[in-house]
Amino acid sequence: MDSILFLILRRLRRPLILIIVSFAIAIIGLTLMPGHDDQGHPWKMSIFDALYVISYTATTIGFGEIPYAYSKAQRLWLTFSIYLTVIPWFYAVGKIITLLQDTGLRQAVTTERFANKVRQLQEPFYILCSYGQSSNLLAKALDEKGMRVVVIEPQQERLNELELIDTRNIIPYLCADAILPENLERAGVLHPLCSGVIALTDDDNVNLAVAVAVKLMNPDLLVIARAERDDIAANMASFGTDHIINPYTLFGDQLAMRVHALGTYLLHEWLTGVPGDTLPPPENPPKGRWVVCGYGRFGKSVVENLEREQITTTIIEAMPEMTGCDHCIVGSGTEAKTLLEADITNAVGIVAGTDNDTNNLSIVMTAFELNPKLFVVIRKNRRHNGRLFKQFNADITMQPTEIIAHECLAHMISPLLAQFLSLARGQTNDWANKLISQLVMTMGETVPETWAIRIDNEDTPAVIELMEAGLNVSVQHLMQDPANREVQLELVPILLLRNNIPSLVPDPNTRLKAGDRILFCGSPATKSTLPSILNNTKTLTYIIDGIEVPNSLVWRWLESKFKSKS
Amino acid sequence: MNLEKVVFGFFIVLAMTLNFGFFIGDIDNASHHHAYELYAAIIVSLIATVLKFGDRTHVGAILLSTSLAADLQLIAAAILWAALNGTYDEASLTVYIVSLSGGALMANIISVVLLISETISQKR
Repeated sequence: MDSILFLILRRLRRPLILIIVSFAIAIIGLTLMPGHDDQGHPWKMSIFDALYVISYTATTIGFGEIPYAYSKAQRLWLTFSIYLTVIPWFYAVGKIITLLQDTGLRQAVTTERFANKVRQLQEPFYILCSYGQSSNLLAKALDEKGMRVVVIEPQQERLNELELIDTRNIIPYLCADAILPENLERAGVLHPLCSGVIALTDDDNVNLAVAVAVKLMNPDLLVIARAERDDIAANMASFGTDHIINPYTLFGDQLAMRVHALGTYLLHEWLTGVPGDTLPPPENPPKGRWVVCGYGRFGKSVVENLEREQITTTIIEAMPEMTGCDHCIVGSGTEAKTLLEADITNAVGIVAGTDNDTNNLSIVMTAFELNPKLFVVIRKNRRHNGRLFKQFNADITMQPTEIIAHECLAHMISPLLAQFLSLARGQTNDWANKLISQLVMTMGETVPETWAIRIDNEDTPAVIELMEAGLNVSVQHLMQDPANREVQLELVPILLLRNNIPSLVPDPNTRLKAGDRILFCGSPATKSTLPSILNNTKTLTYIIDGIEVPNSLVWRWLESKFKSKS
Repeated sequence: MNLEKVVFGFFIVLAMTLNFGFFIGDIDNASHHHAYELYAAIIVSLIATVLKFGDRTHVGAILLSTSLAADLQLIAAAILWAALNGTYDEASLTVYIVSLSGGALMANIISVVLLISETISQKR
């Protein structure tokens, strides 16, 4: 703020000096002019009176001739003074107004305000280095979960959108390029409460630059970056970027997961969704021969993953030389001829994976006419085409932005969640289905909250206190309602980490130990109820023994007397 | 030779000399201290202050603060004069005004000393 003040002062130097000089001349002249008071005695104006008269004259307020009617000489001087002082006055006012409209100055002010807002943050926060489609979703999800977000985005139009949406917390934003380290610093990379930086711009090079800059400035910070090219991803990894997100490989993985284990996929989607949303019922892709249109990065990932699930594919590609595909049918797939050549009538599924939304829609519509039983996977590139895709209603609509947002959330909510999800992938489909039905029974079909706690003096003082007193505290006790111990809270412990050994969905009778970390999944209301059990010894005792411990010393003493008598 | 430096130095030194001119004389004798001299001292001091705006160096900051201190005391003296003139015993009013201007003189002296020391430390 200091520099801005000095900038204003420096630019105002000339008008201020002009005002001082012109006022000084006008005042001194006015005091020298001979005049008369009301009795006709010779009278000269004092310096103070002259200052008063000139002040109201120069600012064009004009109170008239005070304190006595002026003489000819005084009027003559005042006429001269009006032209001498009014012009510098308006010059200065004009200068101040131009200064306030100066884009450079306004930019300096908004930047400074943004940096101040970030400095004053009292809670952990994440920095989003763009506000594109996936960052947009991510910001919304994090805000719903009550986490703080800071946004840097070079395009003002996108920020206008951010300005208009309703958020729970204020999201500070800056219209600037995240590639400049000073902007990252303003966004709080060096702030002690910064939890991580997420670089999800469309440009791999920008993401790389951000990841490198953050790792140099604050090596311990979590960095999640998007990278579509393998060399960039490798470069990021060499700088210690924590998670590198490639939307195409991710979708390929997820498609394979759907074919292979739908339950696991569903669990994944559910735990990383935006709280409060409901999930659409998922489709189970059929096994058999698939036709894949477009052999770009997306198509390659799909083919690779489908083949791993022992599904044969026929590839249609418009430019086989560029994409390096050996045996494919040449064509765009939008005409019936090419599709028939790929024997679409005998295929079970089609993947429209080109980078052009119109072509993708055209492909699936043509294919659908030829074979109405097809399972349709369509790639959606632009979010504003959403209405068209909704109209078509494909079995799976692949949207990179949502996949990226879900993946980021998995890493950002809690490191335990990412661990849980990777463990869950190794489990059978039946296991996942059983867990899903348990979750749905406990908390309904809306997306739940997931959060982690640690059994220690800071997070759970009550648990530690009772354990030290020799009581047996088990996971079950954390699942009971503090208002009525017969009622179960709407939550399920899904992971217990003890001495770095994870156990999935721990048995409720497991005894807790100090240092345990538990990942819970439950309704948002339960998330706010749980701390009352963890922090309050009285509540926890009631849950364990069903005894209401008296609050005051006197009552405790009376109760102990009563007990010893009976 | 740089015209900007000449003007800058001129106003700072003039602010001090005018201030000194007003200050010198018997402290309770009104005829030794002329109103126009105080007026001139205030105007020149204000101009010197504005000239010092925008210098971000450390010396620049101190120069500005000495000027602000001088302005404050000189303007306080002028206000006292304008407000109490005629309602107060002349000798003691003069003492107040002149002692305030003496304070401003100290600030102006510091300002000039800083200016000289900065000039001497310049190697060219």
